[in-house]
Amino acid sequence: MTDVTMIVNGQTRSASVPPETTLLQLLRDNFNLTGAKLGCDVGDCGACTVIVDGMAVNSCLMLAGQVNGRSVTTIEGLATRDRLHPIQKAFEDNGALQCGYCGPGAIMASKALLDENSDPDVRDIRDALSGSLCRCTGYSKMIEAVQEAARVLRSEERNQITHART
Amino acid sequence: MKRRGRGIACMWYPIGFTVSANPSAAVVKVNEDGTATVLTGTVETGQGSLTVLGQIAAEALGIATDDVHVVSGDTDTTPMDTGAIASRTTYVTGNAIWLAAEAAKEILFQTAAPMLGVKTSQLEAKDRKIQVKNFPQRAVAIGEVALRSQVVLGQPAIGSASWNPPTVAMDPETGQGKPFATYVYATQIAEVDVDDETGEVEVLRICAAHDCGTAINPMLVEGQVEGGISMGLGMALQEEMLFDANGRHINPNLTNYIMPTSLDMPPIEVDIVQGFDPTGPFGAKGVGEPTAVPTSAAILNAIHDAVGVRITSLPATSEKILTAIKAKRAGERKQIPA
Amino acid sequence: MDDKTKVLEREQLDIESLGVSDVDLRLPAVVPREPFPIEPLTIDARQQTRAVGQRATRPDGRLHGLGQTKYIDDLSFPGMLHARIKRAGIASARIKRIDTSAAEAMPGVMAVVTGKDIPVNSFGPSFQDQPVLVDELVFHAGDGVAAVAAVTEQIANEALDKIVVEYEPLPAVLDPVAAMREDSPKVHAPNSNIYATKVVRKGDVEKGFAESDHIFEGRYSTQMIEHVSLEPHAAIADWDATGRLTIWATIGRITLARADMSRTLKLPMSRIRIIGTIVGGNFGGKNEITQEPALALLSKKTGRPVKGVFTRGEEFTSTTTRHPIIMDYKTGVTKEGRILARQIRLVLDGGAYCSWSETTLGKACILSPGPYKIDNVVAEAFVVYTNKTMTGAMRGFGAPQVCFAYESQMDEIAKALGKDPLEIRLLNAFDEGSSSPTGQVLHSVVVKETLNKAADRFGWQEPRS
Repeated sequence: MTDVTMIVNGQTRSASVPPETTLLQLLRDNFNLTGAKLGCDVGDCGACTVIVDGMAVNSCLMLAGQVNGRSVTTIEGLATRDRLHPIQKAFEDNGALQCGYCGPGAIMASKALLDENSDPDVRDIRDALSGSLCRCTGYSKMIEAVQEAARVLRSEERNQITHART
Repeated sequence: MKRRGRGIACMWYPIGFTVSANPSAAVVKVNEDGTATVLTGTVETGQGSLTVLGQIAAEALGIATDDVHVVSGDTDTTPMDTGAIASRTTYVTGNAIWLAAEAAKEILFQTAAPMLGVKTSQLEAKDRKIQVKNFPQRAVAIGEVALRSQVVLGQPAIGSASWNPPTVAMDPETGQGKPFATYVYATQIAEVDVDDETGEVEVLRICAAHDCGTAINPMLVEGQVEGGISMGLGMALQEEMLFDANGRHINPNLTNYIMPTSLDMPPIEVDIVQGFDPTGPFGAKGVGEPTAVPTSAAILNAIHDAVGVRITSLPATSEKILTAIKAKRAGERKQIPA
Repeated sequence: MDDKTKVLEREQLDIESLGVSDVDLRLPAVVPREPFPIEPLTIDARQQTRAVGQRATRPDGRLHGLGQTKYIDDLSFPGMLHARIKRAGIASARIKRIDTSAAEAMPGVMAVVTGKDIPVNSFGPSFQDQPVLVDELVFHAGDGVAAVAAVTEQIANEALDKIVVEYEPLPAVLDPVAAMREDSPKVHAPNSNIYATKVVRKGDVEKGFAESDHIFEGRYSTQMIEHVSLEPHAAIADWDATGRLTIWATIGRITLARADMSRTLKLPMSRIRIIGTIVGGNFGGKNEITQEPALALLSKKTGRPVKGVFTRGEEFTSTTTRHPIIMDYKTGVTKEGRILARQIRLVLDGGAYCSWSETTLGKACILSPGPYKIDNVVAEAFVVYTNKTMTGAMRGFGAPQVCFAYESQMDEIAKALGKDPLEIRLLNAFDEGSSSPTGQVLHSVVVKETLNKAADRFGWQEPRS
C-alpha cells in the first residue's frame, strides 16, 4: 500500500492505496471527486484531465504516488458558493457542452491554457483542446466559450489592478 | 502543392420510424402558482431535448422556459416514450407535450371563463396570463387561475396525451406508401485544401443550411449541426473499424481509431432555414441526425474539385487520395502521344 | 447459512488484502457538500414568455460545467459489486465447454453467470436473434460468454482470465457480398445470410433509361464506424426484498429496455423499473440493452447492487456500429442534366445480429434516390449477416452512406455535362408537393432554399480567386 498526501482544490487530502492506483481512481473512488471521467483509461480521450502543479495532465496516466506532495486542481475546485468560474459561465452561456461527459476535462484543459496565456488566438485554443475528444459538439462553441472567458478574465484582471492602485 | 476545391451536397431525411408506430406520451401539470412540471419518458442523451420540450410546454401555456421543470427517464414515474432515436423527440414527444399542455390549459380556461365573463373559446394563454383574445386588458394571472382551479373548484390542471406520426404502410412489392409523416432538408458546402504530394486533406470551411421546421432553440440546433458535421468529417476522412482475416478487431481503441479532434474541425457557418411544418409542435420538425448526412459527400466532392480524383470508398484517407492522384497522373502521361 | 458465512469470510479477506477499510463500504454519514453558485441561469432567454425561438441555456449545462452531473459510473451504492464480461475473441465457433469454477473460487468473486442462466436468452428490436450471453454458438469476436461480479473491478478482470472456455472454431464469413452466396457459411444456420430485403419501385426504369441522353453508373462503398460516445455503456442493477428490479442504464429508450428486461428475465413489467440517467452521448448506440440482464442476474444471485461499465475496447467490439454499405447506382439523364431514371442496389453489412438493421435497410432504400424529382426509380436493398460486430442504429440509419453515393454521382454527372453542381441540383430537387420515390406527396419542402442559402453564405456564385 502507498500512502499519499496532496493538496486537492486547496485542501490537504490523504489516502492509503494500492501502488498501481492512478490519480484518476484516487480522485474518483477515494476522494469522491467524480468530475474527472473515465473515457478510455489510456490517455487518448482527455476526459480525465486535471491540473497538477499548473499543468494539464491525463490523470489516468499518472499514478497516485507520483502526485504525492503536489497540488491538484479539479473541476470541483473552480466555482465557489458565490460565483461560477468565468470559463464555466462562458461554456454554459454558449451552449458549449451537450452530453457534458468531456466537459470537466475540456474545461480544465482550457483553464490550464488561460492560466498561461491570457489572450490566446483560435489556433492556441484548438491546440489546448486537442487532447480533449468530444463527439457531441464539434468543438465550435467550446472555442467561442474560451474566447469569451479569456475576455472576462482579462477585464477582471484589469479591474483588480485598477483597484490595487487606488 | 496545395490545391483548393469546393463541394456541395444536399440531402433529405425523415422524422420518426419507418411506418411503424412510435408513439410518445406526456403529462403536463400546472402548479398552483402558474409554473409547470412536465413528465416525459424520453431520456436526455446530450442533445438538449429536455430544454426544447420545456420550451414547447412553456409556449403552449404562455409562460417562460424558466417556469417549466421537465422530469424524464423513469419507467415508474414518466409515461411511455419510444425514445431518443430517429430524430423524433422534438416532433413526436413535442407534439405529445403540446397536446397535454393544451388539455391542462383547457381546465384553466374553464376556471377562467366565468372569472372573465367570456366563453372558453375566447381565451388564450400569454405572458403568464389567461386573457381574452383581441382584448388582452381583460386578463387574470395564470397562477390565480391555477390556484382557484385546484383548491376552490377541485380541478387540478393536469393534462395527459400521446401522439404517433400518421403513416401508410408500404406495399411489399413496390414500396409505395407514406412511411414518414415529415422530412427535413439540408445542404452543406465544404472548402478543402488537398496536398497533391501527400494526399492530405485540410477542411477549411463548411457552410451548412439546415431545415428543422421551426427552430425551437436555435443555439441547440447549431450545436447539433456542428456536432453532426464533426461525425460527417470523421466518416469522410478518418474513421474505420478494421478486422483481420479471422474477424478479430484490429483497432478497438482511440489510439488507432482516428476521429476528429479540435485541430481537424474547420470554422462552421450555420444557417437555419425554417421550413414551418403545420404537423409539428409550433411548426418544428427535427434535426439530430440530418446534420451528419451530407458532410462526407460535400468533402469528397470538394476533393474531386481540388485534385480531379473521385474517391468512391470511405474513408478517403491520404493514402487513397495520393494513390488516386498518382494513377491519374500516370494515365494522363500515357495519353500524351510519344 | 454456512454459504453466507463463507461469502462473508471471503469478503473480509479481500477487504484486508486491499487495505480498503469497511468505512468506505458503508453509506457515508455525511456526504461532502459540493459548492454551488447561487447565480441563476442566464435570465434573459429563459424568462421570455414567447419561449419558442429563444436561445435558452440548459439547466443540465450548469451541472455539466460544475462537474456535478452524475453519470452511471459516478453512482455508488453500499455493498456495490463490479461486473466484467468475458469476450469470445473468436468470430465463429461452437462452445464445447465453459468452466467457471476457478473464477468462482477466487477470493472477492461473488458470482458468475453464463448464457444458460438467462431465462430467455434472446432479444432484439425486430428479430430476437441476439443472445445476452452466448450459449452454444459464437457469432462474432465481441460476443459475451460469461459475466463476473466481484468486490473490485480489478478482481473481476482477473477472474475473466480464470474462466476456461473451449471453442471449436467454425468457418466465418466477413464479407457481405460473399455472405450472399448460397455456398457461404451460414451465420445463423440454417437461415439464409440475407435476413431482410426492401424494394421501392416507381414508374418504369427501363423506359426511363431508353429515353435518357446519358447513363452514368458507379459503385460507392462506406466503412464500419463506431459511435464513440465519450461515456461508455454502463448500468447498475439492484433488487429489493419484494423482488422488484431497478436498473440505472445508459439507454435512450427505457420503455423498450423494460420490455427487453421483462422478456429476457421473464419478469412482469410492473416489477421492473428502468431509470434513464443523463446519458453521456448516444448517437444510436445506446438504444437497446447490452449487459443489463446479466447484471440483473448477478445482482439477484449476490443480493447486492452490481455495476457494469464497458471498457473503451468493448465499445468497439461489443456494441452496435454503423452499417457498411456497398451501393450501385445507375442514373439516366437528359443532356440538360434532368434525371429520368435511377436504379439502385444496396448491400448492407448486417453484422452478427439484426439489431436496428431492418430500420436502417428501410430508410436507406427509401432515401437512396436522393431529394430529387425522378419519375422512374427502382431501389433494392439487402442486409446480410456476417461474423462481425453487430451493426445497428447510428446517426442517420443509412442516410449518410446513400447521400455519399447519390451526391458523388450528381457531381460526376455535372462534370460530364459541363454543368454547375449547384445548378444541376436546383434543376432536379423536390418542390413543395413533389412526389417521393414511395409516392408520398411531400409538404414543407425546402431543399432548394437550403441549396440557395448555403450557396449564398459560401459565395458559390462569386468568381474563384
